[in-house]
Amino acid sequence: MPEWPAQTKYIGQPTTRVDAAPKVTGRARYSSDIQANGWLYGMILRSKWPAAKILSVSFDKARGLPGVKAVAVVRETPFTVRYYGEEIAAVAATTKQACLDALRSIEIKAEPRERFVVREDEGRKADSPQVWEGVANAPAPRARNTGDVDAAFAECAAVIEGFYTTPVQIHHPMETHGSTVSWTEEGVTSWASTQGISSVGDGLAGSLKLDQSKVRVITDYMGGGFGAKFGAGVEGVLAARLSREAKAPVRLMLTRFDEALAVGNRPSSFQRIKLGAAADGTLRAFEMDNYGTAGIGAGAASEGGGGGADIPAPYLYKVPNSRVKQKAVAINAGSARAFRAPGNPPASYGMESAMDDLAVKLGMDPVELRLKNDPSPIRQREYALGAERFGWKQKYRKPGSSPGVVKTGVGCAGAAWPAGGGSHQTQGEAQINPDGSIEFRLGVQDIGTGTKTVIAVVAAELLGLRPEQITVKVGDTHFPPGPGSGGSTTCASISPTVYDVCTKALQQMQTQSGLADVRGENWYPACKKLGVNPLVVHGQWQPGLSSDHACGVQFAEVAVDTETGLVTVTKVVAVHDCGLIIDKLTLESQINGGVIMGMGYALYEERVMDDLSGVVLNPNFETYKLPGIADVPEIDVVLLNMPERGVIGIGEPATVPTAAAIANAVANALGVRVSSLPITPAKVLAALGKVPAVAT
Amino acid sequence: MNAFQYATASSSESAHELVASNGAYLAGGNDLLSLLKDYLVSASILVNIKSLPGLNKIMHGEKAWTIGALVTVAEIERDADVGRAFPGLHEAAAEIGSQQIRNVATVGGNLAQHSRCWYFRHRDTVCLKKHGDLCYARHGENRYHSLFTGNDCISPVVSSLATVFAALDATAIVLRDAKETRLTMSELYQKAWEDPTAHNSLYPGDLILRVEIPAGRRRSAYLQASDKHAFDWALVSCAAAADVVDGKLKWPRVALGSISPKPHEVAAANEFLEGKTLDEATAAAAADLILKEAKPLEYNAYKVPLAHALIRRTLLKVKGDA
Repeated sequence: MPEWPAQTKYIGQPTTRVDAAPKVTGRARYSSDIQANGWLYGMILRSKWPAAKILSVSFDKARGLPGVKAVAVVRETPFTVRYYGEEIAAVAATTKQACLDALRSIEIKAEPRERFVVREDEGRKADSPQVWEGVANAPAPRARNTGDVDAAFAECAAVIEGFYTTPVQIHHPMETHGSTVSWTEEGVTSWASTQGISSVGDGLAGSLKLDQSKVRVITDYMGGGFGAKFGAGVEGVLAARLSREAKAPVRLMLTRFDEALAVGNRPSSFQRIKLGAAADGTLRAFEMDNYGTAGIGAGAASEGGGGGADIPAPYLYKVPNSRVKQKAVAINAGSARAFRAPGNPPASYGMESAMDDLAVKLGMDPVELRLKNDPSPIRQREYALGAERFGWKQKYRKPGSSPGVVKTGVGCAGAAWPAGGGSHQTQGEAQINPDGSIEFRLGVQDIGTGTKTVIAVVAAELLGLRPEQITVKVGDTHFPPGPGSGGSTTCASISPTVYDVCTKALQQMQTQSGLADVRGENWYPACKKLGVNPLVVHGQWQPGLSSDHACGVQFAEVAVDTETGLVTVTKVVAVHDCGLIIDKLTLESQINGGVIMGMGYALYEERVMDDLSGVVLNPNFETYKLPGIADVPEIDVVLLNMPERGVIGIGEPATVPTAAAIANAVANALGVRVSSLPITPAKVLAALGKVPAVAT
Repeated sequence: MNAFQYATASSSESAHELVASNGAYLAGGNDLLSLLKDYLVSASILVNIKSLPGLNKIMHGEKAWTIGALVTVAEIERDADVGRAFPGLHEAAAEIGSQQIRNVATVGGNLAQHSRCWYFRHRDTVCLKKHGDLCYARHGENRYHSLFTGNDCISPVVSSLATVFAALDATAIVLRDAKETRLTMSELYQKAWEDPTAHNSLYPGDLILRVEIPAGRRRSAYLQASDKHAFDWALVSCAAAADVVDGKLKWPRVALGSISPKPHEVAAANEFLEGKTLDEATAAAAADLILKEAKPLEYNAYKVPLAHALIRRTLLKVKGDA
């Protein structure tokens, strides 16, 4: 079995991103920066109805407008749209304004449906208008039973019940969805903002009925995806169709408005939880009834996974007697997609809230209750480490006992992520040139996490070179194939692959050069002996160098103004493991990002829909609120380096426990729980009983 | 956006003439451009007023200060003399938008900005403010909406400067039909109180020239509460101003933003505070008076205790150590 070197120079150390300079200077060309020769703007016309039958779409006026080069209807009329913002048609034109004018000139005959539903509690009702004709919005729940729940509850020393809810969260990557597509006789090239070049290629070939050999996808730089950017998307296919008609490349990037409607979200959850324990805190019984919405769709309709609204329960814990019922409620809203640790942040929020409520009832320290019940030895270590670093024993007080108007509180929560291991199909190659320069080519993409840097660090370590001596190329389907950037699998996919490429390169170089060791200072002399032709070495993922199942625990400290309801997170200690650390700097960056995203989920983010009109009311960053730098606390990242486990991904677990830890800290500060995310000033004041009752 | 003509004015008179009945004045453009891009406003001509002479100055007189309509919010924020004379104005300016927005946002634009109601701003809802039949917010998502209104629209005034100007008893001087008209803050928004389609009392072609603030209230303060710590709209804002003589309040005034279509002022509360020595109980009694007539809706009732807290805090801040 291959092994990682015991002594390292770069692996596990902080290495600045190899593409930091182009990124901060603006030289990096993101997918949305691509300006292909003679390119046109593309734009999408969306449904202004939450539910309607589209009878006909006429482009007669639009086609005649100056600058308009191509038009497309999303599918043959008549067809049904099921949510506000669903795609109807698209245009390509020489300017953005020409596109806008053209969209406003498209004439649609439609039969709007009088009834529709955008709220989960309405959608659950038997008489609610059906989102899919002939199919109930809320099918019978899936149930799972273990042991004898009722008998176990009867014997518990403490039982709590709670109703914990989480909103629909939107991915909102900084770079919106979209691509530039060029369709010529040679085939289709898509410069896509994607986290899966292979899946985009696959999707385009399938939708456009082209040979896969005729489709190339390129992603040099992309601005985030979080699970919502695996597929070609309706927008990608429309861009291709427009390009074919216009005989020119079409850049179709969605707007921020579009992002709020049609390209994925995290399902909501409404978790009714009952949890019971013996007097020593041992969990004995668990019951959950959960529903949430994935919008109109699930599974296949969600472009690459996600779907459904189920969450893992009772999450981290083993409870001998449990009864879990879950269902997804269809509503007239955009479909869910995989979203950074699908299911886990809501699961963590619900279960970890219940754990803290139970700790209060038992009169137990919340950390003690977790140590008593958490089956993971790694998290056990992390709780001990984090509690020490955070000063938990000094800071934890009885709930609500903090004096004054601004009350402080502390909370903690744990994370699990079952994936994070490598994709066994990952391949890669290196071209070693006689002048000693070396280029790695892998058909993965850098979603922004530092994929290129990881490749450079691993290669430099094994070849005895410096990371800056390694040229890294990713994001092209002409390179040996790699996985999509999902499930936190990228790092554990590419590191063993690069290891294999390097091992084979060293062997071949030894043979060809006759030198016993070609690494380090011998590298250039050895390369010289290659003669005129470069050496290209192919490698693939190897077992034994990676594993999966990262853990993590986080501690949060908050200050809550009990008169204004404002929650200030003052500190987060994030303790995480991901096996062998490759680049400490990009790893810490991932965890910082995970904490900040979790904070947004805890305090600010929520898709708001209007009952009467069916529209999304906050399709912008003015009212879809995201954490700003003034909101972000001191984040203390504590890393557990576990080389013996090999490489494990970290992207997802880093964001899982943050919202639960913050929510628990708020409950600890106030002495009452805000049992609904986001924890807004309005909800804090309501939980404190300060809001007057209103007749509705 | 729809096509428009563009002209640069060299005097207030020519600006007024150019804008005619269907144009719009362009200064910082923060609000106007987004309204145009979202097809919420249509203008036949944009008249650039950025270089109008005399409107970009802060002037200090014996009885009053004058702040030109083209003075930027950032200039107010960093003017040390303003900060000393009107701390509340400085504090309000510092809370507006982001630094980039403050750098170009003008006093006139801040006062004249349109409703931020998410139904009004939405491209596909036709609400009362857009001459539709119905205030969606009244029976819908009204967490950001008014506790007070004189009509069926519940979208509140969100100008932070209007809130603090009201407490400072400032007057807007408006060029209307070639004459200068003086409007108190209450008058500047009275029409929005009465008419659901109005954002303020300005007529087409009206141009805010400057704001006059009477000297004399040596103390002022502004506080706002938001969902976030920066770059966020106020859920409620509160400004208070007074002079303090021998520990007693003189000419006290309290005004609130984001809870009414106009800066919310209650004369009875101001009268109650006159001559009082401020303490927690007095501040709370004033807050009770100010919020007595509040009509909370399903999702905005939290604004009542929030406003109460802000009134108390702002008043105690005005009192300071005196």
